[in-house]
Amino acid sequence: METQDIVISAKNVSKTFKIKDRNTNSIRSKVANIFNPNHTREIKALTDINFEVRRGEFFGIIGNNGSGKSTLLKILTSVYEPDKGGKISIEGNFQRLALGAGFDLEISARENIYLNGSLFGLSFKKIGGIFNSIIEFAELEEFADTKVKYFSSGMTSRLAFSIAVHVDADILFLDEFGGVGDLGFRRKSEQVFKESIVEGKTIVHVSHEIGTLKEYCDRVLWLERGECKMIGEANEVLDQYLASCNSQV
Amino acid sequence: MINKIFKTLLERLPENNRFERIWILAKTDFKKRYYGTSLGIVWAMINPLSQLVIYSLVFSVLFKNDIPNYTLYLFSGLILWMFFSESTKKGMHIFPSNLNLLENVRIKKYNILTAAMFSNLFTLAFNLVVFFIISIFFSLPYNINILYLPLILLNLIILVYGINLIVSVVYVYLRDFDHFWDIFIFGLFWANPIVYSEAFLYQNKIVLALNPVAGIIVNMHNSLIYGRSLDFPLLIWDFAYSIFIFVIGVVFFKHYSKKITEIL
Repeated sequence: METQDIVISAKNVSKTFKIKDRNTNSIRSKVANIFNPNHTREIKALTDINFEVRRGEFFGIIGNNGSGKSTLLKILTSVYEPDKGGKISIEGNFQRLALGAGFDLEISARENIYLNGSLFGLSFKKIGGIFNSIIEFAELEEFADTKVKYFSSGMTSRLAFSIAVHVDADILFLDEFGGVGDLGFRRKSEQVFKESIVEGKTIVHVSHEIGTLKEYCDRVLWLERGECKMIGEANEVLDQYLASCNSQV
Repeated sequence: MINKIFKTLLERLPENNRFERIWILAKTDFKKRYYGTSLGIVWAMINPLSQLVIYSLVFSVLFKNDIPNYTLYLFSGLILWMFFSESTKKGMHIFPSNLNLLENVRIKKYNILTAAMFSNLFTLAFNLVVFFIISIFFSLPYNINILYLPLILLNLIILVYGINLIVSVVYVYLRDFDHFWDIFIFGLFWANPIVYSEAFLYQNKIVLALNPVAGIIVNMHNSLIYGRSLDFPLLIWDFAYSIFIFVIGVVFFKHYSKKITEIL
């Protein structure tokens, strides 16, 4: 494996959250408790995660609720910082896709496309060039100037998906983004998935749905209570995960 | 060598859309504030105008004063004051209200602050236009000294940006800081020569020294209302003061803004 083919690498990534038992985000309670220091509990959301993702790989992250999947994704997309000693490096630009997130509900779809595209790093000119195909792909021709708050959840996620596909990100992070829209749109998005893999785009999919992961993923990382339980070939990991889920019942 | 630098600059130029990015953030912010309401952008004007009417009634009818062109004196001070108070009040809530962006897009936090600044500047510019329109009906001795206005505004912008760098982060950690700030702003209003004459401040120079906004308003009056040269020692003091706060703000922001998204 050549090093230049690695687009995402996580080394010794841990994340500790400090949880305060009492809410002390006010001046009054800070003063009142000045001689009574607050008890902070440390919660380890992630412990020593190591993995690498190669260019063009479809990488899955699976785990039960509270296993640290979302935290890991937030660290990968640099929303959170990993604890000291942990290192994340990402080659290329990325786009995160999550249900109903990333849109400003008070502005129209058109403005959201420009805002999102611009924040992604595209010039207005470039966004103008792909604008029509974004709207067309999302099947929102009649709603381009409607505020996103009036959109159904299907429409929002179609728009999000369409933007993510068209901004031409090197890496796509999917956050529980399975089964968007109706059957027709789903077919279309599956088609895009397959094309993306051919084009050498990297996709990281965080989910607890085994079905989609099994169908597309090359490799899967299994998180359990913040630790890397298993990492490897998709079918193998997913079978083990399924087995462990069944044994718990 | 130079060729190479030039080339890399050129290569970076089209990729770097920072200005567009801040522009669209500012536009969105401004639009959301005023559009969609029944009166829209007119609200940006109604607020200072209504204050202007109330204060000028109270301070020219109830309490007499002998400031020439009192209405415009009042209005010019109010415009700057409202820019200061509204910007800092809004700056405090900037991260909670932009959580959506922080969590979902890779965005530099100070870009959000800069965008909000531009959005506030739109309002300020709008109010200044109203000021100049009103001033047609009064005989203001406009002269070359009006050219100092951008300098005065720059001073205010540096000050407000510096304060916003600090309060936006403090608010995330101390959620009742906004109540404190409201009271502080309410009190600070009276430490400024908005409704009363600046002669009072020159008798109590400690206020001018501690409150940088007062000096900015004094010089605004000098440039616009009196058409005379600025009080330069005061201008230099206020610039130094603002840059000092700005530098503290940058250091503070760098140090404490990293974990904001986790706390929110």
